[in-house]
Amino acid sequence: MINFHIIKTLVAKELKLFMKNRFFALITVLGMFFYILVYFLMPKTVNETLKLGIYAPTIPPILEQFQGEGLKLDSFDSEEKLKNAVLQGKVSAGIAFPVDFMKIIATGERPTLKLFILSNLPSEVKSAVELMLNELILMQTGHPLSVEVKQEILGYDMLGKQIPPRKLIIPLLAFILILTEGWGLATLIAEEIEKKTIQALLVTPITIRDIFIAKGITGTALAFIQVTFFLIITGGLSKEPLLILTTLMMGAIMITGFSFLIGSVAKDFMSVLGWGIIMFFGMSFPSFNILFPGAIITDWIKLIPSYYLVETIYRVINYGYGWKEVWLYLIYILAFSIGLLLLGTLSLRRRFQ
Amino acid sequence: MNLKRIFILLGKELIYSSKSFLFIWILVAPIFVTLLFSLVFGTLFREKPRLGIFDLGTSQLVEMAKTTDSLSLKLYNNHVDLKKAVEKGVIDFGLILPPDYDNSLITGERVELQVYTWGQSLAKNRMILGVTIANLSRKISGIESPLKIETITLGDTKSIPWEDRILPFIVLMAVFLGGVFLPATSLIEEKNKGTIQAVIVTPITTAEIIIAKGSLGVILSMLMGIIILFLNNAFGNQPLLLLTLLLLGAIMAATISLMLGTLIKDFTTLFSVWKSGGILLFFPALAYIFPQIPQWLSKLFPTYYLITPIVEVIQKGAGWQEAWLNMTVLSGVDVLLIVILLVIIKVKNPFTA
Repeated sequence: MINFHIIKTLVAKELKLFMKNRFFALITVLGMFFYILVYFLMPKTVNETLKLGIYAPTIPPILEQFQGEGLKLDSFDSEEKLKNAVLQGKVSAGIAFPVDFMKIIATGERPTLKLFILSNLPSEVKSAVELMLNELILMQTGHPLSVEVKQEILGYDMLGKQIPPRKLIIPLLAFILILTEGWGLATLIAEEIEKKTIQALLVTPITIRDIFIAKGITGTALAFIQVTFFLIITGGLSKEPLLILTTLMMGAIMITGFSFLIGSVAKDFMSVLGWGIIMFFGMSFPSFNILFPGAIITDWIKLIPSYYLVETIYRVINYGYGWKEVWLYLIYILAFSIGLLLLGTLSLRRRFQ
Repeated sequence: MNLKRIFILLGKELIYSSKSFLFIWILVAPIFVTLLFSLVFGTLFREKPRLGIFDLGTSQLVEMAKTTDSLSLKLYNNHVDLKKAVEKGVIDFGLILPPDYDNSLITGERVELQVYTWGQSLAKNRMILGVTIANLSRKISGIESPLKIETITLGDTKSIPWEDRILPFIVLMAVFLGGVFLPATSLIEEKNKGTIQAVIVTPITTAEIIIAKGSLGVILSMLMGIIILFLNNAFGNQPLLLLTLLLLGAIMAATISLMLGTLIKDFTTLFSVWKSGGILLFFPALAYIFPQIPQWLSKLFPTYYLITPIVEVIQKGAGWQEAWLNMTVLSGVDVLLIVILLVIIKVKNPFTA
């Protein structure tokens, strides 16, 4: 039989100890502040357009047609102004057409174009601009290519609505907050085992189950409160808040289960640190997959429990997914959370019996 | 102060610390991160558009694309793998070349190209890849470049590749992970177990203990810094200058560690400080990775004065003359930290029973 009064007292004791340690509390607040700061320092837009400057006394008609998605052309009155625009970084490169450009083209001669680039322009951009100019002139001189391109977009077409790094980093930062709290919980458990305070508690009417439940509630609550606060500030709860909060709550339970597992195998702080680092890197791997798409191409990533958690948060925040679209992921998260919590609890219980 | 006693203490520290998991992790982590960043993220961060080709014939386009600077190329042996790679964002474009593509181009026969586009591919990448494929196809069909391009380079700054941008982060991690954790954990452990109180009743003084533990941090920190610079082929032409900088950085790390070890009572609090305060150390490296972050902010963080000269020496070939100002500030920070440490030890007198 679960004794709720004892659990309540134990949770209150844990939270009181947390709040009593002013330094600990201050550091937690400070950490939160820096996580939020990192979020706001990340770029809030994606620059997906190549901006080129043009100086053309006689503007080739094809120039206007060539402008479109991915390329923006800015015209300048003189070569000098064009150069300044390049130097000031207003355009990626500047192209100066000769005065008699159209005449040269008409005679079939090869015109010479001046390409102004900054010394730090990546070589691939320079090469791309040169290829573009070639293509432009070939189109102007009427050299059609006998190729028909059949294009198929795979996945959501994000053209013009790319997700900025600031939004991409939310699942990573949110998950790191939960993970670090879980790490802290594992440390607390290991410390109690090392100092034998758990054994001291067990001579009172408090049972092992009461202790685990209380610790689980404390760890989950602390992680959940912090991550919720983080998401409120960063706007991560603007879409489907209940769905996000449910996902995070299950995530916090999942990490609590992991913490119990670590606490059950770790002998001291050092081993908590060792196992914790493995958990930290392993579990944060799927977040990197979101931040850097294409980095991890193996399907093995789907075996990492956190994959479903960060994917759910990412899809809800950035693609507007709802309950209907992510229900299967939620079941996976729930299954992993319950499984890990049970495994962790059993493992810890075994250590004490 | 007795040098012989300090060396004996240092030797014992080295023997006992090397047996802990933390020590091994401190040695392994920076190497692991270097490999991870270099192999996975180093290539991923490259801003070149990524083209994948599955060639059903033997088109020249493949060989030509290999030498084109405007894209990075990946070849596939079948249609399924190519499509999967596009879906996962490994490549921006997946191009299937028909069996007789080159002949069709030469004879002017209409030819169909199947292109898969990754939905998250940036507009400029799509444009660059499209233009490049068109341009290479034109070359195969025998159409020569219709223009001459005169490239004029402006400014004298160099583009910093992603592999170089992550170097400060890796260096800082190498120097600070060991430097901060080892002396602090050693001090806390000895305080908790009471062994430090046992030692100071012998002729060994507090200062000798502090110097021995700090020296271990400095040695480990420097050693890791050297290994990481070697692994990244970053020793350059100024090894002595780099060693001096690493030494100053190691002193900073070890002094911070001793301050933490003196003030903090348990590992949980140490862990919390690292969790939240770590970002104070790593902020300049983060700002270096993401130039969008206001760079002046980095100057407020002491590690800026360590990574800036290191980066300048490695990437810009700077020497003592260019590095002296940052080195002076770094030395000043070290002196200030040492003074603070001495005050803390004097005021708190933490090792008395």
